[in-house]
Amino acid sequence: MADEPDGELLRRFVHGDREAFEALFTAFHAEVHRWALRIVRDASAADDVVVEAFWRSYRGRARFDASRSFGAWMRRIATNAARDHLRTARRHAVRRRSSPDAQAASAPDRGVAEAVERALRCLPPRLQEVVTLALIEERPYAEIADALEIPVGTVKSRVFRATRALRLELTRLGIQP
Amino acid sequence: MSENDRFERLLRAALPPTIAGAPGHELWTRVVDRLDAPRRWSRVDLSLAVFVAIMLSMFPEGLFLLAYHL
Repeated sequence: MADEPDGELLRRFVHGDREAFEALFTAFHAEVHRWALRIVRDASAADDVVVEAFWRSYRGRARFDASRSFGAWMRRIATNAARDHLRTARRHAVRRRSSPDAQAASAPDRGVAEAVERALRCLPPRLQEVVTLALIEERPYAEIADALEIPVGTVKSRVFRATRALRLELTRLGIQP
Repeated sequence: MSENDRFERLLRAALPPTIAGAPGHELWTRVVDRLDAPRRWSRVDLSLAVFVAIMLSMFPEGLFLLAYHL
């Protein structure tokens, strides 16, 4: 995470100073992009999440507590924006799953990677994000809990539920996990 | 190797961890454009406004109730 900005810059940001906002964007956008990419797993979608997250941060700047970490606050906003992206992507994935083409495509001779990705995209966004961050990106549970604003125990239970759902979906697609 | 370990390996083999790339160059411009764009009404706002207008045309006395709550 980038160094925490000084209090004066944050105070100016909270008061709507565009230059301060640009300075914060310059300092943090790469980190926010990296985090978003871990969740959405697509560079162009991660770009969209960054734009959305910074737009939301500026719109909600009055709610920012300047005594807290700006980086952690941005990561939470980016996580929410990424979750919205996953929600939209999931609607398409579920629609594809129920189409006749997808039924044919789910035959075992299709790539395992494709099946795993499809199964992942069919999970509810809250489960997708934890399984991606915890099992694929191998981020510490504490970091995930902080970004999602949930207790570590909830992260663990979501990972458990996600794993179970993924196994079921993969079995349905003809892959024995 | 436990079943869970095998499953996690399968996941990581199918979907390897992402490699951080550089964000797009025009992102700041997009943020600024978004901030400067005129605010549009969302579908929810529009639906609510239409609903309230219809209800008021059917029950004009509701205007006082609405005014009281606003």
